[in-house]
Amino acid sequence: MGRERIVLNVNDEDFEVLVDPHKTLLEVLREELDLTGTKEGCGLGGCGACTVLIDGEPILSCLTLAVEVQNRAIVTIEGLLKDGHLHPLQQSFIECGAIQCGFCTPGMILSAKALLEENKTPSREKIQEALSGNLCRCTGYNKIIQAVESLIKG
Amino acid sequence: MDWTRYSNIGKRQPRIEGVGKATGEAKYTSDLKLPRMLFGKLLRSPYPHAKILNIDVNKALNLKGVKAVVTGTDIPGQKYGRFRSRRDETGLAREKVRYIGDPAAAVAAIDEDTALEAIELIRVEYEELPAVFDAEEAMQEGAPLVHDEYQRNICATRYFDFGDVEGGFKNSYHVREDRFFSQGLSHGALECRAALANFDTSGKLTIWTGTQSPYQVLRQLSLVMGLPATKIRVIKPCVGGGFGGKGELYAHEVAASLLSIKTNQPVKICLTREEEISFTRLRNPMTVYVKTGVSKDGIILAQHVKCIANGGAYASTSVLMIYNAGLTCLIPYRISNFKYDGYKVYTNRPVSGAMRGHGANQPRFAVECQLDMIAEDLDTDPAELRMRNASQKGDISINGLVFSSCELSKAIKEATKASGWEQKRGPKHTNKGIGIACGGFVCGARIAGHTASASFIQVNEHGGVVLLSGSSDIGQGSETTLAQIVAEVLGLSPYDVTVISGDTEITPIDPGTFSSRVTFYAGNATKQAALEVRQTLAEIAAKHFEADVKDIEFQDHKVFVRGRLDEAIAFNKLAYMAVSFGHGQSVIGKGQWAPQNTQFPDKITRYGNVSGAYSFAAQVAEVEVDTNTGEVKLLKVTIGDDCGQVINMLGAEGQADGSASMGQGHALLENILFGDKGQIMNPSLLEYKIPTALDMTDVSLIEVGLPDPTGPYGAKEIGEGLMISTVPAIVNAIYDAVGVRITELPIRPEQIRKGLKKK
Repeated sequence: MGRERIVLNVNDEDFEVLVDPHKTLLEVLREELDLTGTKEGCGLGGCGACTVLIDGEPILSCLTLAVEVQNRAIVTIEGLLKDGHLHPLQQSFIECGAIQCGFCTPGMILSAKALLEENKTPSREKIQEALSGNLCRCTGYNKIIQAVESLIKG
Repeated sequence: MDWTRYSNIGKRQPRIEGVGKATGEAKYTSDLKLPRMLFGKLLRSPYPHAKILNIDVNKALNLKGVKAVVTGTDIPGQKYGRFRSRRDETGLAREKVRYIGDPAAAVAAIDEDTALEAIELIRVEYEELPAVFDAEEAMQEGAPLVHDEYQRNICATRYFDFGDVEGGFKNSYHVREDRFFSQGLSHGALECRAALANFDTSGKLTIWTGTQSPYQVLRQLSLVMGLPATKIRVIKPCVGGGFGGKGELYAHEVAASLLSIKTNQPVKICLTREEEISFTRLRNPMTVYVKTGVSKDGIILAQHVKCIANGGAYASTSVLMIYNAGLTCLIPYRISNFKYDGYKVYTNRPVSGAMRGHGANQPRFAVECQLDMIAEDLDTDPAELRMRNASQKGDISINGLVFSSCELSKAIKEATKASGWEQKRGPKHTNKGIGIACGGFVCGARIAGHTASASFIQVNEHGGVVLLSGSSDIGQGSETTLAQIVAEVLGLSPYDVTVISGDTEITPIDPGTFSSRVTFYAGNATKQAALEVRQTLAEIAAKHFEADVKDIEFQDHKVFVRGRLDEAIAFNKLAYMAVSFGHGQSVIGKGQWAPQNTQFPDKITRYGNVSGAYSFAAQVAEVEVDTNTGEVKLLKVTIGDDCGQVINMLGAEGQADGSASMGQGHALLENILFGDKGQIMNPSLLEYKIPTALDMTDVSLIEVGLPDPTGPYGAKEIGEGLMISTVPAIVNAIYDAVGVRITELPIRPEQIRKGLKKK
């Protein structure tokens, strides 16, 4: 099976890439598009470090074939910076001490973003549940949860 | 403690590198790319113990896209190892493989898929040898030898005998002997290990690798590659966590280097999570035997601790780990008669190395659980028992450790008060329980060879400040801490300081990040360098203001004469003035530091003050046990901590949260499962369960320390000491809740149900 020419819409931009059908979205993002913000932590869908948003939903890109997600709106961590301004979640993660080694951070922020867009006032339990697929070994999650909670108004 | 006298020290300081990490811009080793880069993979042994008779690489070499294949016979240099006395590795096995997964060959190809295909085409002829997997079995006469030079497979042993232990037991009112077991664990850092090696045409090998100790990698690579160290440069990119595991040279770093030399192209090797769990390092699975004798009042009169660590196929941190296990037993309590036997044993299993606490955790779990059993035997409150035995400031332990600062009693008091200990202990109507444990740790142990840290600072003409530190930030926030120290001395903000760390060509020699040494050593070296810079600038300012150097103040980005704030000039302006000062003054500072009050432990007795200061902590855990399922929920952890002067309060809390989580994993969730040939049966994050956000527990950190005379601004350590008391606090809390005593980790629901049934 030869390579296929596909078009991926990533962070509001169309990219034309030549890919082997068995390549995952994670591999294509990192290797073809040089968007290295999305990380591989396990390659099996167990850690969430590869989380991207596809049409607003948090999806594990290591379990997604690139050829499957054409014509979908893909958002990676690089897509959150707007005109040099940090997304409020990026700001709160930094300020609350929710970042230590930083490897889980991109996936964690995207999962949190998806949650807050669906539910503006999640309870602590709902936040924990939404982030339960994103593993972190450094922080124990406490300051990550606080960072998300700090954005809940009222 | 007066936090207000400092502008930066003690503050809640967000990470100076935070933006890069939050935007995905920060580059970890696997993110790096070089032109013409090749991808490497390792071929690993399917047998736990076998001779390599022949390796046929021809089919692999002939596969389109394969550029080189190497084996142990291509290793040009000699054996390497974390310690000079235990050099037993070559990266790619020569002659023998010693565990399932031991690398025997490596391939470089144009892409990963081709490299993986090539691996399958390499034909290795093995002759299987008898293997041994259990540590105590491996120590028996006649057991197969993993390394011929090590009789009875004893890789490393340490022995202490202080005071009169037998006499102490004779005089004891009560003596207990118990056995405990602590399981194998994986570090679980989110970033898997990776290395990018580039051997250039000038004959220089540059390697980017997510390491805790660039200079360790440099020295060991020089040995195994037969390359002069002057021809090697090790660069540490951003690191996604280490927890002790990334402090040695690894096979994939050797293989990448070798392949790059062979191909004259850059070679990147990224380990998969399966390789990361199965074939790197584990926390030493350890059996601990403890015998303790106490007086009627519960004062410890004598103690004998015996540790048998299943060390796996290679030495790794052997001597330091097994020494640390015994050493740390003598930190939290006053013990005047103490005996220790420690063994790190070779077996044909994956290698055990250093993991947060480095050998201290397992005996701490054992001793703290036994102390609770003793408290019950004597009908004494467990917290009270700790109070009676707690080390005090000014104590010198039986093995020569000098406690220049110690607030353990206060830690116990505050932790029990804040957690509501009194009210929660005693007869209950719920299945909730509360338990306590104490611990102490070193701030960088004195090791053989280079132990000091050094820092360079330069201030350029526009006032930009650059700090060069040989230490490694592996995610714990050391760069931010060092920036805070520079900022404190020069009256700036940490964001004004650019920190460059972990590049052996640029930053000064440093032992690396292990043994909780960075704040203590690199912090002091950095403070020294900053003070030198301050002195230079102050002299220029003094001339400008026509005042005394000692009256010059640096604050809020301004420089002024004390009492003449209205005449202040900007720091940047002063830096610019240096340009035309005399012939032009370079503003540079240098610091180099190691604690002067330490000794390398005596070779026979092991007596000696190995650390410049010691941290202390008392931890109270609260649990709820479901008596139907046996499941344990960790409700809260309250920590009374003495880490001296906190430099970054946000960082200290982060360490407390993270170590509580790791302790929770150690006690309740994580377990490396070994098959009948020593292979790891659960090498994925789905089966090896590290805590998730759903397991998050409430953590309350109460800082009780006073500034230590030796630490920078009085700071001690916090990275490792906290985790060692978490596990026994949880175990003790479970006993308080439902009366089930666990002596083997991890605590499984079946064990709880079994224990409940017995009652």
